[in-house]
Amino acid sequence: MRILVSWLRDFVAVDVSIDELAAVLTMRGFEVSAVELAPATVQSNGEDAVLDLEITTNRPDCLSVFGIAREVSTIYGTELRVPHVDETTSLTTAEDGSDVSVAIDDPDLCPRYVASVADITLGPSPTWLAARLDAAGIRPINNIVDITNYVMLELGHPMHAFDLESLADRSIRVRKAASGETLRTLDGQERRLQHEMLVIADAVRPHAVAGVMGGADSEVSSDSRVVALESAYFRPTSVRRTSKRLALSTDASYRFERGADIEAPVVAMRRALTLLEQTGAGRIRGSIVDTYPHPKPSETVTLRHSRIARILGINVDPSFVVTTLDRLGFSVSPPSARAKSADEGQQWQIHIPPWRIDVGREIDLIEEVARHYGYDRLASTFPPLLQPPAPLSPYQRRQRLLNRVLTSGGCSEAINFSFADRTSTAPFVQDESDLVSIANPLSEKFTVLRPSLLPGLLDSLIRNRRREQRDIRLFEIGKRFRRTTGETLGIAIALTGGGAPEHWSSPERPVDLFDIKGLVERTCEALGAIPLFEQTVSRVLVTGRASSITGISRSTGEQVSLGIFGQLTPTIATNQGFPNTVDEVYVAELDLVALAAVAVDRDRLHATPVPRHPSVVRDLALSVDGTLPAAAVRDTIQIAAPDTLVSVREFDRYVGPGVPDGYVSLALRLTFRASDRTLTDVEVQAAVDAIVAALRDQHGATLR
Amino acid sequence: MPADHPARDMQDTLYLEEPLDASGQLDTHPATLLRTHTSGMQIRYMETHDPPVRIIAPGLVYRRDTPDLTHSPMFQQVEGLLVGRRVTMADLKGTLEHFLRQLFDPEIDVMFRPSFFPYTEPSAEVFITCVFCQGNGCPVCKKTGWLEILGSGMVHPAVFEAVGYDPERYTGWAFGLGIDRVALLKYRVEDIRLFYDNDLRLLEQFPY
Repeated sequence: MRILVSWLRDFVAVDVSIDELAAVLTMRGFEVSAVELAPATVQSNGEDAVLDLEITTNRPDCLSVFGIAREVSTIYGTELRVPHVDETTSLTTAEDGSDVSVAIDDPDLCPRYVASVADITLGPSPTWLAARLDAAGIRPINNIVDITNYVMLELGHPMHAFDLESLADRSIRVRKAASGETLRTLDGQERRLQHEMLVIADAVRPHAVAGVMGGADSEVSSDSRVVALESAYFRPTSVRRTSKRLALSTDASYRFERGADIEAPVVAMRRALTLLEQTGAGRIRGSIVDTYPHPKPSETVTLRHSRIARILGINVDPSFVVTTLDRLGFSVSPPSARAKSADEGQQWQIHIPPWRIDVGREIDLIEEVARHYGYDRLASTFPPLLQPPAPLSPYQRRQRLLNRVLTSGGCSEAINFSFADRTSTAPFVQDESDLVSIANPLSEKFTVLRPSLLPGLLDSLIRNRRREQRDIRLFEIGKRFRRTTGETLGIAIALTGGGAPEHWSSPERPVDLFDIKGLVERTCEALGAIPLFEQTVSRVLVTGRASSITGISRSTGEQVSLGIFGQLTPTIATNQGFPNTVDEVYVAELDLVALAAVAVDRDRLHATPVPRHPSVVRDLALSVDGTLPAAAVRDTIQIAAPDTLVSVREFDRYVGPGVPDGYVSLALRLTFRASDRTLTDVEVQAAVDAIVAALRDQHGATLR
Repeated sequence: MPADHPARDMQDTLYLEEPLDASGQLDTHPATLLRTHTSGMQIRYMETHDPPVRIIAPGLVYRRDTPDLTHSPMFQQVEGLLVGRRVTMADLKGTLEHFLRQLFDPEIDVMFRPSFFPYTEPSAEVFITCVFCQGNGCPVCKKTGWLEILGSGMVHPAVFEAVGYDPERYTGWAFGLGIDRVALLKYRVEDIRLFYDNDLRLLEQFPY
């Protein structure tokens, strides 16, 4: 909204610099986004400029010079002078109008329609008027159209002028469009109208889209001798919908859809007629026809002084409240009889002016008081403590812990979009129908919600590879989306490049299965979960280098799936753009909710007494089949051993001379301890013998 | 929110092809959208909890925006809500001043300016001294010396009525800010897209 300061000065004396005016308006909620020089054609006494104001959607009353003048007069306490209007023209109702007849078929969408007929002499506008329109950003057209625009800019009420001879029967009918009706609007476009759109028609056909734009066939042109002027009120929702359907937004629709002043049409009409007369552009014929079947009663709201303090936290002087509201155009009735009641304190009855469509309850008035009191003058206090601070949620605690564990494990945290493209995510679901599709994606890259964190991490890995990074370790915590399982929270890790930083102290080695396994173990351990690993087959992992991760649920005792880890299938990586090199990609993905169900509850951990008796350690060297998983050996030992076995550790693995082909030599350290006595050699030897026998019977293992 | 509300505009909002709720069940709602702001959490919380209320609600939000220097189709917001018997706008001012000085710099100035938001009244836009020019005026702050950092206001009584709180008994305030914008300003990152690019050369500058 562009406001010419010299125009503003017609209505309010502003004896401050332009910069100060801009700053003050900004602090009252009307942001001045730019201050420009006034065009040279504008004649002004003293400093002048055009202020570009951002008017919030709740204040259509300030989409005008006069509306802003009212605010300025409130700010500075100076008099507000109303625009000059000739009040002598008589008002009549539609029925006795002789020069034009007005009928409103739909008084819900058009509650008020004011019309008048004027004889005109078409020509250019006087320079001063054209210059002001120009300053406001509206192109001057001719003296009639310019006056309607001038009144809109000045008072905020949009008007329209029809060439009266173009209206069949000199009649105006406000009605809904018939389906299939068309109208060529002033911009030359042929518009197909829909039934719910309100139009201004004559006896035969539409001549304007109500509140949006006039029609080309009834445009005021050089042949026009008589015009019908329109100053009406249209329902905001109707104008908004129509404007949107037609993809046509105008200065008029912008104001009507935010809400016009239902009392403004007559004032605006009188102002336009006054200007016609004053500039010699025309003169009214007959009287102003005001069709307003159901006048809207004015509204009253109670404002309590105590409530202002309750909301703002400061005690605003009652005289400031009264003065401010009065200057803004609210009429304030004296304090009511209850004014002195002990609990309520002072209160007022406030009559809402019709242009303040944003004000309907007490809080709206408190906002007006606060705005003009100045937010900068509010105190800065702290709220009383209502409750003790809440602890972090288990989810927050877990997430923070995992962040720290994995960053200290050399990983960086990634954040990828929740959406991805269908092609790159498809390998990560069993069935593509499990993908959740976006109905109106912005591009091909964002067509589905991610079913897994891995495709995004892989993309991040690839982008980093392209930027000369080779050793990349990323993790991400986030939501995954599938039609079968809904929204789930997961954590994923992806590694490629070196297994350790390059350094002279140790040979270079690429990242391998044990690096990713180590990070999975650390992740589980951080949460107090004991992971179980088992070789598995996965569509995204290399067979033989793929493991499932499970755990035992704390509540049910059942084994639950936690996720997978392993080497990413190279073709998946290369299809996605990973360079075709020897470098391998290792990934893991775990379900954080399942992991939490497996994790110990640290708050409920109870200590067991520390051992009071010494432990006994025995080492075994076994020769076993090289394909036998270490876990199988460990299980056999655990089952065969008595309760006194407290740990089993594989501390060496050897293949070579002295060990038959296909066999490995495994060194195990067994630790025994009893809580109630010192173990004897005999007892321990019996346990070891039982273990060796079980290993021999079940796995063909031999002692070396 | 009414069905023709601008906030539901297809232009700005991403919709799912078919509804999906948190448990994967088919939802009864006609269309599931990816939320465009986090304000909904305030309502959900108040609907299920009695006052007093004090919550901080961060979350991902989605817009149908083409990525550029300042726009990302996914970004992050955080909301704060306080409801109690004696909660005032002066408390909002004091709390946010403290918060922003802790977040950016104890020396910055904080400015509150009237604004309009649908769920708060009175509403305030909050500005801080431009971190790039210390308030002297530069291209980033468009020579104003100020940077807009968050939106806030007193919870509108209609919101309390909608969740079954008595606005005569309770008052409250709320604020919301973009986490990405804070990070852009605080860490002097030039491009919001970098937050979702996962470039190690950026990530490794912030190892903790």
